[in-house]
Amino acid sequence: MEKENFINEIFNSANGITKVAPSDDLFFKIQNRIETNTISSKTIWLVAASIIVLCTINVGIIINSKAIIREKSEVNLANELHKSNQLY
Amino acid sequence: MSINNSAFYDIYKEYKALVYTTTLNYLQNIEDAEEVTQDVFIKVHESLSKFNQKSSLKTWIYRITINTCLDFIKHKKSKKRLFIFGVKSNSEHELLNISNFEHPGILMENKENAKILFNAINQLTENQKTAFILSKLDGLGNVEIAQIMDLSISSVESLIFRAKTALKEKLSEKFEHYRKKNT
Repeated sequence: MEKENFINEIFNSANGITKVAPSDDLFFKIQNRIETNTISSKTIWLVAASIIVLCTINVGIIINSKAIIREKSEVNLANELHKSNQLY
Repeated sequence: MSINNSAFYDIYKEYKALVYTTTLNYLQNIEDAEEVTQDVFIKVHESLSKFNQKSSLKTWIYRITINTCLDFIKHKKSKKRLFIFGVKSNSEHELLNISNFEHPGILMENKENAKILFNAINQLTENQKTAFILSKLDGLGNVEIAQIMDLSISSVESLIFRAKTALKEKLSEKFEHYRKKNT
């Protein structure tokens, strides 16, 4: 009997529980987090476009530098041949 | 932004108490409840445009709240496991303080007994805890709980019954413990 009373008392302790509102500044905290998390699609496209332009420039420079090296070595060979007029 | 700020504020105003009270019932820690309430409303803001209205807004927000609470608890437990051989993490101390939690929505004269009840609720399985909190503390009907938990009504009834049985067992153990202590 005593045990049952104890259990019922504990069970009934949640009777009349009321809903609790959070602190007033919580909405501003949420808004701040939303604003920090939100990156506009314009910014995303701008970053993506910048990366593509950078990659294109880099690839262009690499291809160009290879062509210059090849051209230089051909000029050097031609100069050497011109000096000696010998093919071997 | 997918929705305008005034619409979001209206939703916040209507559901802030529901979300905060449910997170409090689940986590039994004011700081954690505030953090999870923020997470819930950020998720609502992000996904409101995708809300397909198959369920009511209230049910949908309840689902987000419960899932966010469960994720938060899992994250806390994994952190606790990570620090098991090292210095105790803050979250572990917070977890240990759960039994001292005083729910602000509980009547003053019931606060001491409610501490014991919340302590026992924490020992229930995940689904039993959810069903019991929604039924006993949030005062929802079985149909609504079934929609929120995506279960059949009979499953919810069975979960609540098993939760009550388990709680009675735990409280009876507690009673024996108190009696031994006092004699």
